[in-house]
Amino acid sequence: MNQRGAGLNRFPGDFAGTLRLRHAITKDIRRFFDDRGYLEVETPLRVPCPCMDIYVDAFPAGASYFLSASPEFHMKRLLRLGVERMYQVTRAFRAEEAGRHHSAEFTMLEWYRTGTDYLGIREETGDLVRFLAESLGRRCAALRFPFPAMTVSELYASRAGWDPCACWDETRYFRDWAERIEPALAGLGAFFLMDFPAPLAALARLHPDNPAVCQRFELFINGLEIGNAYSELLDYGEHVARFDRAAAERVRMGRQPYPPDRGFLDALELGLPACGGIAVGVDRLVMALLGLDDIGLVQAFPAERL
Amino acid sequence: MIDTSDIRKNLKLLIDGDPWIIVDFQFVKPGKGQAFTRTKIKNLITGNVIERTYKSGEKLEEARIDESEMAFLYSQGGAYTFMDNATYEQVELTEDQVGDAKNFLVENMNVEMLFFDGRPISIEVPNFVNLQIVDCEPATKGDTVSGATKPAKLSTGHTVNVPLFVNNEEWIVIDTRDGSYVERVKK
Repeated sequence: MNQRGAGLNRFPGDFAGTLRLRHAITKDIRRFFDDRGYLEVETPLRVPCPCMDIYVDAFPAGASYFLSASPEFHMKRLLRLGVERMYQVTRAFRAEEAGRHHSAEFTMLEWYRTGTDYLGIREETGDLVRFLAESLGRRCAALRFPFPAMTVSELYASRAGWDPCACWDETRYFRDWAERIEPALAGLGAFFLMDFPAPLAALARLHPDNPAVCQRFELFINGLEIGNAYSELLDYGEHVARFDRAAAERVRMGRQPYPPDRGFLDALELGLPACGGIAVGVDRLVMALLGLDDIGLVQAFPAERL
Repeated sequence: MIDTSDIRKNLKLLIDGDPWIIVDFQFVKPGKGQAFTRTKIKNLITGNVIERTYKSGEKLEEARIDESEMAFLYSQGGAYTFMDNATYEQVELTEDQVGDAKNFLVENMNVEMLFFDGRPISIEVPNFVNLQIVDCEPATKGDTVSGATKPAKLSTGHTVNVPLFVNNEEWIVIDTRDGSYVERVKK
């Protein structure tokens, strides 16, 4: 007990200073979206369907509920109200994720905009990071704008010697990610990783000109995966099929399957407007802006201080 | 059996019959992808360091390593002699087995000796040890903030960089994990 208690109140370095910078960054995030006419919304943390991801383990939260791994289904349902721009800064939960870049509970910034696709979201993401960096001034780690873009095909060709979009092999893809790609990311600075293989589309639309890839990008800054964006898939039948496939895959892996989000499927059936959206990990964004490489340096209470 | 969620620094694993120790690790998981733990492991017998990547949930076998507290007695011709503090039995290790720890060994220092299958394989020295400087330039007064350093040779033969205000023959604290200067020994 004493041993466990020993480090609980040992905060790193000038932690009050870090908290002030973190506060300044979240204030600036809200200012950025408020100035652009975005509506800030709130959605529930305890939900019947935590996500559709095969590889995300949600925390059970009482019979038939989970802690939310992402607010996306509820936010998209709000698009039915005719709100064209909305954002949220909320908590997200993912079990069994712990490490220098991972925390089981973290802060997520998510936004949606109608009438655009992932390229519009990419531009806005670059604008946001630039706005935050300029506001921090000298305290911001060195970043050069605009961020370049690279496709998944290009990245794998140069670092792993094959193209997962041309010839999909999931086992090889993720092992190569861990052994060849991820170690190289820190040396690539800030860039948008574009056009993931179709089997990794999650909730993204497939590319109309090339169905082997989807309209999905991720932003990386100095080795940190900062955000994940889509041209949002709007097709009801395709969503049903993807929910079913994900659930079957989780059963096959011996993991608890998630039920489809009924309210979200209803909204799709009624029709949602074309839109793009992105989820950004705020803790990692703060790390990237301040040049820190451990989530425990920007979160007041990571697992080891709970 | 243990699994990848038990991975931490200094965990000792049995891999293909050999004992290995985890010197560094990183949890790697794309937001929408499979989780892995990438490790850097050192063979406790050969000292060989390699990288190995484990899929999350993969089972691992812990190596049974016995430890005894030993006092360092002396070294001669590349052999290092230690004495078990409980049984007074003497054990000899080669320079390779002692490894970098030789930079920090002084007579009568207590160390942990590791045994695998009853055979001594290596030693672990305390994280912080006090050592005396035997050769460095005289201290220069006043400069305590610039971060400038000078080399200082220790009684063990190891050389470290120390701040300019440190004097020859002073005792200093060394972090044995990276061999760096920490502070002067407080009187």
